[in-house]
Amino acid sequence: MKIEFTLNGHPASVEAPADISLLHLLRDYIGLTGTKEGCGVGECGACSVLLDGQLVNSCLILAPQAGGREVVTIEGIRGADGGPNDLQQNFIDHGAVQCGYCIPGMVLAGEALLAKNLTPSRSDIREAIAGNLCRCTGYQQIVDAIEITAIDRRGEARKTEVTHG
Amino acid sequence: MERFSYVRAESIPHAVTLLNTPGVRSRVLAGGTDLVLLARENHDLCDRVVDITLVPELHEIRRVQSATGVAGDTVTIGAAASFSEITASALIRETAPLLAEACHSVGATQIRNMGTLGGNVANAAACADSLPALVCLDALAHVLTPSGHMAWPVAEFVTRPNRTQLPPGGLLTALSYLVPAPGSRSVFLKLGRRNAMAISRLTVAALGRMDEQGCIAEIRLVPGSATPHIHRFARTEAHMLGHEPTAALCEEAGQVAVAEMSEITGKRWSSEFKEPALQAMVTRALLSLFGLIANHEEAHA
Repeated sequence: MKIEFTLNGHPASVEAPADISLLHLLRDYIGLTGTKEGCGVGECGACSVLLDGQLVNSCLILAPQAGGREVVTIEGIRGADGGPNDLQQNFIDHGAVQCGYCIPGMVLAGEALLAKNLTPSRSDIREAIAGNLCRCTGYQQIVDAIEITAIDRRGEARKTEVTHG
Repeated sequence: MERFSYVRAESIPHAVTLLNTPGVRSRVLAGGTDLVLLARENHDLCDRVVDITLVPELHEIRRVQSATGVAGDTVTIGAAASFSEITASALIRETAPLLAEACHSVGATQIRNMGTLGGNVANAAACADSLPALVCLDALAHVLTPSGHMAWPVAEFVTRPNRTQLPPGGLLTALSYLVPAPGSRSVFLKLGRRNAMAISRLTVAALGRMDEQGCIAEIRLVPGSATPHIHRFARTEAHMLGHEPTAALCEEAGQVAVAEMSEITGKRWSSEFKEPALQAMVTRALLSLFGLIANHEEAHA
């Protein structure tokens, strides 16, 4: 069947079977391999993407469920110059990335949280990434990176208010 | 080759029509967090999935006022409301905090954003977190079939793990409950191996209130993942009703609940763990319900 949706801000149209997962569609039919398959059963969060702005496991979603909707993958998260955005840079700067396999999902979990809450407590951050397993870092550095990004973005938001206010 | 095709329902009647297309074995997709895995294991699950998750009416959470006054008000929750939507609903947090807590305890953000209340009820997993809360609320399951509307108490609708009374071609459209009487309090406790993503080992949903004399005027107690059929523990409730809630009474109620569970399940491999765990959780839930301990959050293991 034809599956049409918005992928990272651009229209996408793919001919694919109805019974494959969104993860499979993204990786094997579209070639965006930034989204990882970890457990494949919705436990590890490596395949996390944003569907209409909400964090979801793409391994538990049928490809046609994305039809007409907006999907953001890790390829859609980047800075204005095409390099890492502030959250991704903070992951790098604070040692939050080791093997890297969980990181696309972690970054999207972080973005999903920060889109709703720019003043998260460390416990809010832990809850927001509770569905994302990392076997390298022990999570502290990831929590640091998200927390620091929240602080920076609050500062940015204030600056913008001052400039425009 | 495709093992099944996909179609999206636009409205409730459209969904029922799709589910009853002659010659096509259809399955409802209400989020998909269970169905996608089921379909991967069972290659002959169905001919077509009918996606109901984008039907706007199935997301509505509303209060319907009764003709008889506030006490008879009903809250109706569309079956495709996600756990996240329920957790965020001011109406549910106000009228049934135990249901909001139960839904918040499901999986992690990713699962709560996709998983739905109707899916949880219709799939009826033994460990479904919303079921004890719904049974505790004496909630009704509303089903639409081509021949009309039917409703069952959730405790009768879900007969045993993974079995419901949903007729072929029927669509679970909503869950509803009567708003508990003023002064009611409720508690939901979950015991899992960790906070996030944990499958429930045991849950306890409780709802109650006291009369003007300080005695228990109403008490409902529903352990989850304890018995094959999720139901109110009538003997434990009767043991407490009309008495003044004391620490000793809550302790006794824990023992009665264990006896009530063991009568049904007999001794099982898990009894050695479940009996003391249920005893402690029921006692803790009741202490918290009647304000005898400050914060039941501590009881989340």
